[in-house]
Amino acid sequence: MKIHILLSAALLAGSLGAQMLDPAKLLKPPTDTWPTYNGDYSGRRFSPLARINASNVTAMSLAWVFRAGTGPGAGGSNTQIKATPLEVNGVLYFAVPDYAWAVDARTGRELWRYKWETRGGIHIGNRGFGMYGDWLYFETPDNYLVCLNAKDGTERWHVEIADVKQEYFSTPAPVIIRNHVIVGVGGDSLDVPGYLESRDPETGKVQWRWNTTPRKGEPGAETWPNKDAMEHGGGMTWMPGTYDPELNLYYLGTGNPNPVMAGQGRKGNNLWTCSIVALNPDTGKMAWYFQSSPHDTHDWDAVQTPVLIDGEVDGKPRKLLAQASRNGYYFLLDRATGKNLVSKPFIPINWSKGVDSRGEPVPDPDKEPKTDGTLVIPGANGATNWPAPAFSPKTGLMYVNSQESYSLFYLTDTDEKPEGYGGRDSGLWWKSMLTALDYKTGKIRWRHTYDGRGSGMSGVLTTAGNLVFAGDPVGNLIAFEAATGKILWHCRLTAPVANGPMTYELDGRQYLVVGSGDLLYGFTMLR
Amino acid sequence: MAYPVWRSRVRVCLGALLLSALPLYLIAQAPSGGRGQKKSPPARRNFLISRAVPDPAAVERGQKLFVADCGFCHGSKANGGENGPDLVRSVLALQDEGGDQIGPVILKGRTEKGMPAFALTSGQIKDIAAFLRARQQAAIDRNAYKIQNVATGDPKKGKAYFESKCGSCHSPEGDLKGIAGKYDPVALQSRFLYPESHARRGAGGNRIPTPVTVTLASGRRISGELEYIDDFNVALRDSSGEYHSFERGAGVKVEVKDPLAGHLALLKQYTDQDMHNLTAYLVTLK
Repeated sequence: MKIHILLSAALLAGSLGAQMLDPAKLLKPPTDTWPTYNGDYSGRRFSPLARINASNVTAMSLAWVFRAGTGPGAGGSNTQIKATPLEVNGVLYFAVPDYAWAVDARTGRELWRYKWETRGGIHIGNRGFGMYGDWLYFETPDNYLVCLNAKDGTERWHVEIADVKQEYFSTPAPVIIRNHVIVGVGGDSLDVPGYLESRDPETGKVQWRWNTTPRKGEPGAETWPNKDAMEHGGGMTWMPGTYDPELNLYYLGTGNPNPVMAGQGRKGNNLWTCSIVALNPDTGKMAWYFQSSPHDTHDWDAVQTPVLIDGEVDGKPRKLLAQASRNGYYFLLDRATGKNLVSKPFIPINWSKGVDSRGEPVPDPDKEPKTDGTLVIPGANGATNWPAPAFSPKTGLMYVNSQESYSLFYLTDTDEKPEGYGGRDSGLWWKSMLTALDYKTGKIRWRHTYDGRGSGMSGVLTTAGNLVFAGDPVGNLIAFEAATGKILWHCRLTAPVANGPMTYELDGRQYLVVGSGDLLYGFTMLR
Repeated sequence: MAYPVWRSRVRVCLGALLLSALPLYLIAQAPSGGRGQKKSPPARRNFLISRAVPDPAAVERGQKLFVADCGFCHGSKANGGENGPDLVRSVLALQDEGGDQIGPVILKGRTEKGMPAFALTSGQIKDIAAFLRARQQAAIDRNAYKIQNVATGDPKKGKAYFESKCGSCHSPEGDLKGIAGKYDPVALQSRFLYPESHARRGAGGNRIPTPVTVTLASGRRISGELEYIDDFNVALRDSSGEYHSFERGAGVKVEVKDPLAGHLALLKQYTDQDMHNLTAYLVTLK
């Protein structure tokens, strides 16, 4: 029986070309393939697999471990796997700054390693690959988009997407939509403007560019005091977005404005920083926006996954988008129009005076950073951060690793035209928890507060097996019962989970893969 | 919080066995590149600064030159003025290496924009380039930003607040005697808000000892100082220095006495004004 399964799998793989990604896989929930950063376009991180489930997960055990060995070099000695690996035809593909790997998804055996010779840039993380046919795409700290051959890891080409000398650095996983390779940039050290680009998968040439801040005379310019402020206004595009093929809209959360904590030189709402935007992936034209944090001064990027939910409102089916935002609000929007349906804090906050008629928070000026310090909830790390949440259509719950926290925010640059961060924050106290929110209301259905002390937050995965997988702040990978939050299984890893757990099925066997420090762990059921 | 009954005990043990074999596995997985095994990566000033840090003497010379020759238009801090653009954020100045980009502009001027030519030597141009790089890096290096005066509140109101809320544990003549001589006002402010944030980050001071008592299903009680806790395990060191580690299974009771519970309760109550007043009072305890 087993031989038959193996043979048919091999034949199927052979008919497609051994490593090639069938584009149809991009439009289906992830089962034998995990072809994008979030598993599919929806950003739900929901797997329909249920071989590992709430009734048998206690028998899940280690299958293999792979070490992402970079050795001495630009990646530093503190490598963390923040990428969610792709899994295509039995091979895992992932990256850390300057390095990329292909690993056998059944055994954890290295197939190839690629090294990028860096020209600099902040080496803080890499979120992995996008894949198009036989080709893999990833970004480097010095802002190159690199195209590799999935078969052997050889480089096909590289193109520069931003200037490292202007303090850009790049971390996101490119998102592939048809023949568009959508790439974002990062870097908020020195007041550079953010943008998103679509690149040609064959040549790397620019197809379109969308600026996260308006240029003079464009719509949105009225939310900035002058040309200089908006052209140095930040708004980085450092996380992959989500996509609705029916509406043909790409959804992206944008980063914080610059200067980061000194808002006196950029009075106004500062569009389209800290916003959720809907873009046409063929043209880069914006269909609508919703600003999660108008005039942010607390480094609260709104890059958290815009999760696409096909749900119900008032008994009618509705295309929805949910974001558990770093500023502490849960937002539910109509993803066709951007109309706000819910804005509700999921963690205590003290910086907002409520929401306006569009459902956007109104920041309290008294809680902006001050020279003598302002006590702000949540702290700078946020109520949540970039690690991915998950949504289960089975439970109707959105699972968010989150924190209750306090920080002091200091304004250090009082110049009328401040620079860089223009301020500092000092984290005082924090407590980490996994929060399960009712997607329709944003109400907390259950919450597990971790006893482990630490500041990290991992990504989350949920499955049709009534399970939620998440990491705690000290290094436990935990399986929760999705409906109730009851803990069913755990394993202490060598370091806190640094990426989002992912899962796939091969030869009738379900695997769970998670990154912890520089180790990639593969789990499966005991034989 | 409820802890599940460990149906998975055997599996967890098996997992531990597999993990204990890990070091050997890691050796097998070590990178096999042809580069020699260097001991550690090259030291960096910090992770935010990825370009060479200029020589301070050159920066100083460059600053003098800049203020005298360029400051009138570009501002003495190089962040722009009435007639000249910001050079800290200037793409040309950021792309510059040792004057290779700004040099030609300085020597030829940009007469169409009203900038005259300056007859500077290549050494002087290098010094100005060093000054501009230092200005850029000062903006980039947020961890080095200087926090200004934080003792802005009313010390009398701070004293009254202290006496009503803090006096049951602390006294200005006792444990806090001379505290303002020990910590600068910025450190003092975050320490009274929540002392452990510093210990956690290793910014001086030890972790504040947390008493814990573990009662096992058998009724045996062990008390000591908390070493580690998560949802599944707890570890402590008893008064004789012995280390004890326990699984938090059924019937195991863990009582942690948070020595900072009072600080946390107040943290949730302070207004910014309360905080400023307290800081203004505490800085008087020299």
